[in-house]
Amino acid sequence: MSDVPRPLKIAGQSVRRRDLVEKVTGAAEYCVDVTMPGMLHAKVVRSDRAHARILEINTGEALAHRGVVAVVTAADLKPLFPRFGHIIADHWILASGKVRYYGEPVALVVAESLADATDAAELVRVDYDDLPAVLDAEEALAAGAALVHEESYPATADDSFKILAGGVHETDASVEDRPTNLAHEVTLEWGDVDQAFADAAVVVESQAGYPMLYAYAMEPYNAVASYGDGELRVVSTAQHPYMVREDLARVFGLPLAKVRVIAPYLGGGYGSKSYTKVEPLAALGSWVTRRPVKLVLDIEESIYTTRVDSAQVQVRSAFAADGTILARAFDIVMDSGAYADNSPLVLAKCVNRCFGPYRVPNLRVRGRSVYTNTAPASSYRGFGAPQGNLAGETNLDRAAEQLGIDPADIRRRNLVAKGESLLPGKRGMDAELVADLDMVVASLERDRRDEPGYGIGFGCAASDAGAFPVSTAQVRIQTDGSVTVLSGSTEMGQGSRSLLAQVAAEELGVDLDQVAVVQSDTAITPYERTTGASRTTTLVGLALQRACADARAKIRQMAAEVAGVSPESVADAPGGVELPDGSTAGFGDVVQRWFGGSAGEVTGIGLLRREGPTQEMPPFWEIGMVGVGVDVDLETGHVVVDQLVTVADVGFAVNPKAVEGQDLGAATQGLGAALYEELVYDGPQLVNANVVDYRVPRMGDLPRKIDLMLAERRDGVGPYGAKGAGEGTLNPIGGAVAAAVARAVGRWPTRLPLTPERVWRLANGIEEDD
Amino acid sequence: MLPRFDLLRPTTVAEAVGCLSEESVPYCGGTELLLAMRAGLYRPSALVDIKRVPELRGIRLRDGVLSIGAATSHRVVALDALVRGQLPMLATVEQGVGNARVRAQGSVGGNLCFAEPKSDLATALVAYEASVSLTSAGGTREVLVSELIQGAYFADKEPDELLVSIEIPLPGDHDAVYLKYQTMERPTVGVAVMNDRSGRRCRVVVGAVGEVPVVWEGTDPSEVVPDEIAELVDPVVDLTGSARYKRHVTAVYVRRALRALEGSHPS
Ligand SMILES: Cc1cc2nc3c(=O)[nH]c(=O)nc-3n(C[C@H](O)[C@H](O)[C@H](O)COP(=O)(O)OP(=O)(O)OC[C@H]3O[C@@H](n4cnc5c(N)ncnc54)[C@H](O)[C@@H]3O)c2cc1C
Repeated sequence: MSDVPRPLKIAGQSVRRRDLVEKVTGAAEYCVDVTMPGMLHAKVVRSDRAHARILEINTGEALAHRGVVAVVTAADLKPLFPRFGHIIADHWILASGKVRYYGEPVALVVAESLADATDAAELVRVDYDDLPAVLDAEEALAAGAALVHEESYPATADDSFKILAGGVHETDASVEDRPTNLAHEVTLEWGDVDQAFADAAVVVESQAGYPMLYAYAMEPYNAVASYGDGELRVVSTAQHPYMVREDLARVFGLPLAKVRVIAPYLGGGYGSKSYTKVEPLAALGSWVTRRPVKLVLDIEESIYTTRVDSAQVQVRSAFAADGTILARAFDIVMDSGAYADNSPLVLAKCVNRCFGPYRVPNLRVRGRSVYTNTAPASSYRGFGAPQGNLAGETNLDRAAEQLGIDPADIRRRNLVAKGESLLPGKRGMDAELVADLDMVVASLERDRRDEPGYGIGFGCAASDAGAFPVSTAQVRIQTDGSVTVLSGSTEMGQGSRSLLAQVAAEELGVDLDQVAVVQSDTAITPYERTTGASRTTTLVGLALQRACADARAKIRQMAAEVAGVSPESVADAPGGVELPDGSTAGFGDVVQRWFGGSAGEVTGIGLLRREGPTQEMPPFWEIGMVGVGVDVDLETGHVVVDQLVTVADVGFAVNPKAVEGQDLGAATQGLGAALYEELVYDGPQLVNANVVDYRVPRMGDLPRKIDLMLAERRDGVGPYGAKGAGEGTLNPIGGAVAAAVARAVGRWPTRLPLTPERVWRLANGIEEDD
Repeated sequence: MLPRFDLLRPTTVAEAVGCLSEESVPYCGGTELLLAMRAGLYRPSALVDIKRVPELRGIRLRDGVLSIGAATSHRVVALDALVRGQLPMLATVEQGVGNARVRAQGSVGGNLCFAEPKSDLATALVAYEASVSLTSAGGTREVLVSELIQGAYFADKEPDELLVSIEIPLPGDHDAVYLKYQTMERPTVGVAVMNDRSGRRCRVVVGAVGEVPVVWEGTDPSEVVPDEIAELVDPVVDLTGSARYKRHVTAVYVRRALRALEGSHPS
């Protein structure tokens, strides 16, 4: 790469999404569309209680039902490794010995048709002996609480977790002698916190509750699996097919190369489809019957499969009289449900994100992830940041009010500067946060209305994003000069298919329509760790740039050979090479002439690991800068969002329209948790495990004014100075809405969502149970 | 998924009525019925599709009574010139039902027969003192909508009865408004005020908040005390609010509806 930036042709353009037409017309293939010859259908029999010993599973009647081929139970797991989980392999594929939550899979009925499987599933009789259940974190942590897990499970060998956890210290529950419901505990501490509190001019204490959510993706979890001849093939709704492959290889004792996981288009993921979900069940069905098995969950089953960690956070902050932060202390308790899944990492991220992108000289954070007899929680867009940021930002806003300082000024005073360290030992801040905040505030102030019931709020966040920098990509140059890009990164609606095509076209100097992109098939596309942590543009983009450079080097070499000149004398040209005589040859010509005839292909390989630009962790900071203006109907408490202002500090927008789409999507999803969304347990069961009663934002809820701004300062490590987007904007929305509502009604909320009744009670000072 | 069932497709009311029994039930837009069946709450052995019965469709004015066929969709009612001209409040209500798909697919008869408590239509029809015509092999009877809606998901209708039409007596010189407070998929509270000036009668009907619409009757809107009406309702406590809150917003919306009524008055 030369130092002089060359003018970009395709990167930076809002090109049309590659999947646009096929998705709009319904032609796009999703996992649910995939069939296999001789395929059977499965239906899961689920626990109808929160915590109970399984005495007996009577499958006779179901087996006798028309069309039923097998009824699979935990007994069938004997020859296999029966659990999955990439951090703590604690998640039973089928409940064994006892059930730990309402909705837990107990048996799998496999039949010739879905109707048969569904009918027969009702005939499986399970005898239970009820156990006392712990239905929330407080109950679970109480002395003498019933245990969700009596045994502890060794952590898996994936040590990247420790690096990703980012400096936090683990107190793994499994190392304690007496088991408790503590799934995971982490702390983060520096400076002399107690002294700083003693010296403070003002100490502000507050608490914030983040609701239990469902990361509503339109497409529920589903998979189709085929086991035979020591090979397993699974097509599923997996964000991270390579991670799923590892779990499946462990369960079935197969070499990684014999497990093929394919992820077609995903109908939304938002973190909920990261890591293993229904794949082991479908695969198990096929392993037992030796026929392909398809399993499609409905929305209710999906909600019971994976939800979002709810959190209760206590915050204390110490300030100097001028608003300078002297110290902060956080205590975080997350309700992680019956199995750990990715909650340990969500917790670790919450711990290192909760205090915001501020200079905090003295810090103490304690985080606990707690097992309860509820649906298991795992990753969600923002990864612990939304839960922690709400608490931290609300506390800061209350401090500003108490100190009589403008809430923007208190932030300007404390935001870390470019290059400054936010977490010890980590990459310095790669963004200009004060400049971003100024953009937000200017836009909000322009349209703020001074009326009763109107309030504005804003918030800042920075997340150590990108996850672990391992990525590989390939480009295959065809005999006609067209290009196939191979990547294990999943297209889940975020637009990576277009983005990867743009990067390849830019690097190789070919037209966009000469580039095809193939993604997410572990047998074909090269390794990609995950599709998460907003990493694709930055990390896959870098790997792809390297693959293009590798292909170009190979082609220069071949051109030199064919022309009988030295390789150094051959230069790159758009779509080909330039020879010393000034003539040019296209990629296709070179490939054809080198192989002879019209055959051949050249593969460029790009590998990325922790070195060079991606040595320092995190690969980049993902910034969240948002503001809202709200109109509160003071008589009913109903909140209407009038203004939404976001800044995408992405370094460089490879596809500006796609970045705006991500920001609007993330912000809108954040508004869901801020105003409407909450899974509600009444006893062991959810009362709103459906999309009518679990209310997500709708078109009509979109703000009147939407101002999506880009801040492109080319300060990222990714291609052309890019950094990731997609989650950042969600993270501070909760706090921004809480502040706006507080300013409109005159009292500070302590939990989300701010449903009309809660806001009405808040405005009138009426307690929740009154 | 949907369980197995037989599908019957009569083309006349007589034929349709002949198909009906405890196990063989009317099926119109399916917006409620099919969801209930999919959720496993209901498992009839046969569905009697009434969409091909011409007598069940259309809107007619006869002797001062507007008659709406049971299978008519919300959308058709909302856009109908007669309805908009004679009963503009009803057109507004129908335009605000659910979403575009529900309005295009769902029928007025299905709405009443399902007796989902959070109905806008039932509240409006009670305000108009509308009735329905129910037909079975044994004959036809007329029932006021206020009597048809007996409870949550409970309409006073025998399994062998078909709702054929809704009959709305046209009021004389009147003003009517309907306001609803809705934050979820269905209304939290709906308030209809019907002020029949020629008859010196005023009705306030509050629906969706309780299991059945509550009616207040007087002679003039000035007599309405919103807080008293709020005391009349028996709120269903759910995710949209506690009893206290729902009573409170009932009073708010009655007040707003009265204000809107004043605003709608030409003089
Ligand atoms: C997402 C959603 C949102 C909605 N929002 C609103 C709203 O805001 N306000 C509101 O008022 N309503 C609302 N509804 C209700 C909607 O109006 C009804 O679902 C619809 O009108 C029902 O009509 P249908 O033809 O689909 O009935 P079907 O589902 O076909 O039938 C419903 C029931 O009525 C019976 N039935 C149907 N027709 C007859 C007949 N002629 N005689 C006897 N029995 C009959 C059926 O056997 C069945 O038991 C909503 C519904 C949905 C699904």
